[in-house]
Amino acid sequence: MSENGKQSGNGRRSFLKAADRIRELGTKGIAGQVVSLAIVVVLFTVGTAGGYLSVNNILTILSLAGIPMIICLGIHQIVIIGAMDLSTEGVISLCAVVAGFLIKNPFTPYDIGFWVIPVAVVLGAFIGVINGLLNTKVKMPSFIATLGMWWVAQGIAVIIGKGNAVKMLDQRMQNIANGDLFGLPNTILIALVLFVGLQILQKRTRFGTHMYAIGGDETLARQAGIPVDKVKITTFAITGAFYAIASLLLVARLASSNPRTGNNMLFPAMTAVAVGGVSLSGGIGGALNAVFGTLIVTALNNGMVLMKVSPYIQNAVNGVVLITAVALTIDRKKIGIIK
Amino acid sequence: MSTGTNNAILELRGIRKSYPGVIALKGVDIDIKPCEIMGLVGENGAGKSTLMKIMIGLQKPDEGTLVLRGETLSLDGPQAAIRRGIGMVFQEGCMIPNLSVMDNMFLGHEEEFRRFGFLRRGLMRTVASEQLSTVGLGKLDPAAITGSLSAAQKQMIEIARLLWLSKRYGVENPILILDEPTTVLQEGETRIFFGLLAELKKRASIVFISHRLEEVVSLSDRIVVLKDGNFMAELSGKEATVKGIERLMVGHELAEEHYRESMQVEGSDGIALEVEGLGLANTFSGFDLKLRKGEIVSLVGLLGSGKEEVCKCLTGAEKADEGKIVVEGKTVHFASPKDAIAKSIGCIPIDRRNEGLATSLDVSENINLLVLDKMRFLGFLDPRKEKANAQQWIRECLVKTPGLRTPCSTLSGGNQQKVVIAKWLAAAARILVLDHPTRGIDVGAKDEIYRRIRELAAAGLSLIVMCDTLEEDIGLCNRMIVMKDGKVTKEISCPKEAKPTALDVIGYIV
Repeated sequence: MSENGKQSGNGRRSFLKAADRIRELGTKGIAGQVVSLAIVVVLFTVGTAGGYLSVNNILTILSLAGIPMIICLGIHQIVIIGAMDLSTEGVISLCAVVAGFLIKNPFTPYDIGFWVIPVAVVLGAFIGVINGLLNTKVKMPSFIATLGMWWVAQGIAVIIGKGNAVKMLDQRMQNIANGDLFGLPNTILIALVLFVGLQILQKRTRFGTHMYAIGGDETLARQAGIPVDKVKITTFAITGAFYAIASLLLVARLASSNPRTGNNMLFPAMTAVAVGGVSLSGGIGGALNAVFGTLIVTALNNGMVLMKVSPYIQNAVNGVVLITAVALTIDRKKIGIIK
Repeated sequence: MSTGTNNAILELRGIRKSYPGVIALKGVDIDIKPCEIMGLVGENGAGKSTLMKIMIGLQKPDEGTLVLRGETLSLDGPQAAIRRGIGMVFQEGCMIPNLSVMDNMFLGHEEEFRRFGFLRRGLMRTVASEQLSTVGLGKLDPAAITGSLSAAQKQMIEIARLLWLSKRYGVENPILILDEPTTVLQEGETRIFFGLLAELKKRASIVFISHRLEEVVSLSDRIVVLKDGNFMAELSGKEATVKGIERLMVGHELAEEHYRESMQVEGSDGIALEVEGLGLANTFSGFDLKLRKGEIVSLVGLLGSGKEEVCKCLTGAEKADEGKIVVEGKTVHFASPKDAIAKSIGCIPIDRRNEGLATSLDVSENINLLVLDKMRFLGFLDPRKEKANAQQWIRECLVKTPGLRTPCSTLSGGNQQKVVIAKWLAAAARILVLDHPTRGIDVGAKDEIYRRIRELAAAGLSLIVMCDTLEEDIGLCNRMIVMKDGKVTKEISCPKEAKPTALDVIGYIV
């Protein structure tokens, strides 16, 4: 028995060692992500006899990736500061319902046109601020605060929308979400603009440096005089604003809003964060990782659809991908107690 | 109190500070002069770290004043201290591992480099390079990730950061406090480091804290010795000798029968624990021990000597890399504390609130924690057995508690310690490792714990202790093992009629 135990111990140790090496590779930029994406592409290109790599399908993948990418770009910032945000789906649904009633629709007389954009963004940011306040001032773990906020926002969305689907009649908004520029889908272009903005924020501003400092070691960051609470609350607000943008695009693309608009948005985004190599313990990885993470996840799912894999198996594959990505990239040295 | 006739840059006057249960500083006066290296020495617990924390504003003194350049100083925190040119390089370091070197250097002070809201990375890089070259790291890439650097490099970066900050806030002659800076350095690095300090001295005051007295003597212009929270002596660097400082550090108080020496028993012939060539990479190696039944052995050494790790390996908290442990004639391997407990080895940790006790549980639950197997009736815990067992050990160990169901968090430190001991006795431990058993306990309760330790030894238990003071170690043990830098330097026997003095021992420690 003891012999057995020793062997499994060795096996575990060599797995951890290998994982550490892969993590090192992963955290040194996006080399690991590029390789993973290439593997996915090659696999499905062979599997579909080339159909996967057609221009049409690549554009499909990009158009599918746009909105999840915006959500992932939002959520990964929270992960960088070493916190967690689960309120994603609630915030998206609430922004969708509010926007749906404010823009041209069959239920209310309001039609504020493009003004709906700033209104939704402010609403998303406002919920982010509440998340941030709960985390920093009330000193709740962000995991719990945002889990609660998910249901609060979801509940309000149902109360306001009364569970109805609301048709969106504004053609211009629909054109934004469904149109393209030089052949590239608008959603992915919007995501890329947000990516560039975030990249500058993270690498070229004091705020960005402070985000990483907090993710690296919050106590030391506080000792160095960084306004930790302010930075965290602002990060939650920016993330909320990203959810709002994603929400508007979802509504415009479907020409309809309802209190379930945000459903099933959290899991792919969180998978993309992990697959992209943003460390869940905070401080490592950036916007580029979020972009690649989303591309990998979207490319994988599109491939599975093309190969007619059963949706249930697709779900399971996504779950395996998330667990594997975290198992390979987590920094075990930093973790004392797992809760 | 002396007046401002001297040319001190920072004067500490009558600094007192107490923590619950301990008086850390009992009215200390110290001057720090411009352009000098001042060595600060004292045993563990002499008050050095508290004094440093007060100087950088991490702690506020209960009484006393700090006078900086003739002005009375009131510091709100380390940030305020840095703005006045007082900075400290901590032993454990305060660099954020995932940031680049330059981000760490300028952290919290980036305004300098902002233009239209954006950081001027090029300028940051140039300034960082410049600063790094003043501490001999001119070749280091300022964009390197700090976590990948050596401890020595991190330390130098931290010094570079403090120098830059003092320049930025226009402070002439900053005060740099270095806490045990050489412990993380290799032999060759130390020499380079000392060369740099001699260079830095031309424009800064350096407070050098170290347990390595040879280094302090050779480097310092002036040496201040603290002892039990008191200012003990000030020596000039030229006249000081290692022996002389040792004598001052130890002092001359030795009370008779302080540690219940008359109850000391000789160990029997049976060997309870045998350790051969135990080692853990980078911390200690070649540790041998034959622990007899009924014997008290004390492990002595400074922080970082490896004695803490030895105990961790013996109690299963860490896994030794080499060597073997033999308990009652059988070779054992400890992968976790559970294995050690199964071999009747118990541990009474220094941090009893977090490690020794489940403070949210009550007295009875804590005492029964390790013997729940024996408390069963038809597979379920039997409250009657639990109660009987708890009552027995409360009586046995003289725990003063209002009731069995009192949460341990409400007991005094001494009584909590007794509950921890009761827990191990209930579990029939044969070997106990006591890590600072009397830390933070008042005098009366201390005596009871000494008595208890003697009784345990007399009952045939073997004990390994690490104490708060050298006197306590000498007083309690039958035999002491002295460690330094991961090696055993000396074994000293301490029979009750012929105890060595602290002075005999300290030479092997530092």
